[in-house]
Amino acid sequence: MKKKLPKLLFNSVCLLVYTFLLAPIVVVLLSSLTTTEYIVFPPKGLTLRWYTELVDHPEFMQSFTLSILVAFGTAFIATAIGTLASLAVVRREFRGKTAIVQLVGSPLLIPSVVFGVALLQFYSWIGLAASPLALVLGHIILTVPFVMRLVVASLVGFDRSIEQAAMNLGAGSWKVFFQITLPIIKSGVIAGAIFAFITSFDDLTVALFIVSTDVVTLPVRIYTYMQYQYDPIITSVSSIMILFTVALMLVIERVLGVGKVFSSKN
Amino acid sequence: MQVGIGTENDLLLKQKKKNLKRKRIDTWLLLLPTLAIFIFFFLLPLFFLFITSFKTFDPSSGIGNEWTLQNYIKFMSDPFYLGVVWRTVKIALITTLITIFISYPVAFQISKSRGRARNYFTLLVLSPLLISMVIRCYGWVILLSNNGVVNNTLLSLGWIDEPLTLLYTELSVVIGMVHVLFPYMVLSIMGSLEKIDPSVIRASQNLGASSFRTFFSIMLPLTLPGVFAGSVMVFSLSVSSFVTPAILGGPQVKVMSYLTYEQVAVMLNWPYGGAIGFLLILIASITIIAYSKILARSEKGVAIQ
Repeated sequence: MKKKLPKLLFNSVCLLVYTFLLAPIVVVLLSSLTTTEYIVFPPKGLTLRWYTELVDHPEFMQSFTLSILVAFGTAFIATAIGTLASLAVVRREFRGKTAIVQLVGSPLLIPSVVFGVALLQFYSWIGLAASPLALVLGHIILTVPFVMRLVVASLVGFDRSIEQAAMNLGAGSWKVFFQITLPIIKSGVIAGAIFAFITSFDDLTVALFIVSTDVVTLPVRIYTYMQYQYDPIITSVSSIMILFTVALMLVIERVLGVGKVFSSKN
Repeated sequence: MQVGIGTENDLLLKQKKKNLKRKRIDTWLLLLPTLAIFIFFFLLPLFFLFITSFKTFDPSSGIGNEWTLQNYIKFMSDPFYLGVVWRTVKIALITTLITIFISYPVAFQISKSRGRARNYFTLLVLSPLLISMVIRCYGWVILLSNNGVVNNTLLSLGWIDEPLTLLYTELSVVIGMVHVLFPYMVLSIMGSLEKIDPSVIRASQNLGASSFRTFFSIMLPLTLPGVFAGSVMVFSLSVSSFVTPAILGGPQVKVMSYLTYEQVAVMLNWPYGGAIGFLLILIASITIIAYSKILARSEKGVAIQ
């Protein structure tokens, strides 16, 4: 009895925290089903009207496609160059290593808003207009630190005698990399790519400075829309985005089983 | 015979030198793409913005030709701007404290659970990280607005007579920040909870200490490094965050990142926006350095105990 009360108290505190964590997400999902012209929670009635009304707002679909494109481009390039750089950092000794490691890690310390301003000024000077490329370049800077952290971690306990064995058996360095090294560090590389994708897909701060009227990513579109309107369209767009993320995670989990990576990483 | 071995050695040496040289070129080839992008699209832009922050403001083009320190002096001598600095730091401090208090029980619970339950709880804690920050903040707008869920509940319970102003206040910004930054703290505390040797806990219990005593004199001190590390992360992310204060605070609750955005995007005053941005970087770095000094000291302290 004496022991049960604190335990009950402890569990209810945890439950409260979990409720707090999920509340805003649940609220967005449920209020997208309302029949009213305004956002209300709990929703009044049930309808999918706000999803069908998205047909009249093709700009959201355009932004969604652009965001996916940019996120894929970012994830691909950031993972590729980040993995190469990680190989150099972990396996080679060279002058200026510390400086380079610090440089590549520093975007985590620089507020994105300052980086966004700096990038906008630089782009306008070199005449690079708002484009998927301009967005990808900015997002690469934001995501390479994550990629390198994860890949370096998977490279550090790597048993190099396996590579040596492959080389002694006559495999070239490319073959060794793609058939031995890459499969072994796979989980780190994939986790890095997922982080890069999500970070790019989610970025508002840097994109806000780079976008133009034609090139608008989804977070920026949602942000600017809700400055002026407060109708349930936003909740249906957001719900689609949430469901998309959840579906993506499920697919990744099923196909690659990297759920393990995320839960064991901590 | 002798000569033969000599040339063989020479050959080997040459081969080794050649390999070394090739390796060095390889190293830089591996680094080249990352370095090139970082120099051109990170260092150079920040460097140019730094230079801009020492220029005068020109209403027609944004950036004037004269050099000046006025941007920095103006910011640091105006009570309004100093108030914004104070608000930024205050919000970050409160966010960090609340995050510690609500993360600790959750980290504790997860590190105690095993198997499948553990995976589910971890996923639950990390899931907010996967969902767009804009959407999460938007959820809080729905919850906290004048006719939002919180106000409606309180009204229907009869606890209040008219809706409270919750949205676009420091409170709403803090709530949003805690929600966004919570997972980082949980992960950090879990890391140090896991490092605790279970035999230490058992020893304490065997010696007759109550669970409370065990927690406060064994667990808590041993997890302080994790709490500190999490705090640095949460504090610095909170000081520099833009999305949460922009959506949940807006122009009513100006913090430094919002001020930077406003000066550049609305006032088109690039030099001043740049100066505020670099002061923000300065504040964030100072706290990180100060914290890591404390962290280093506290780790020593724990080791001695």
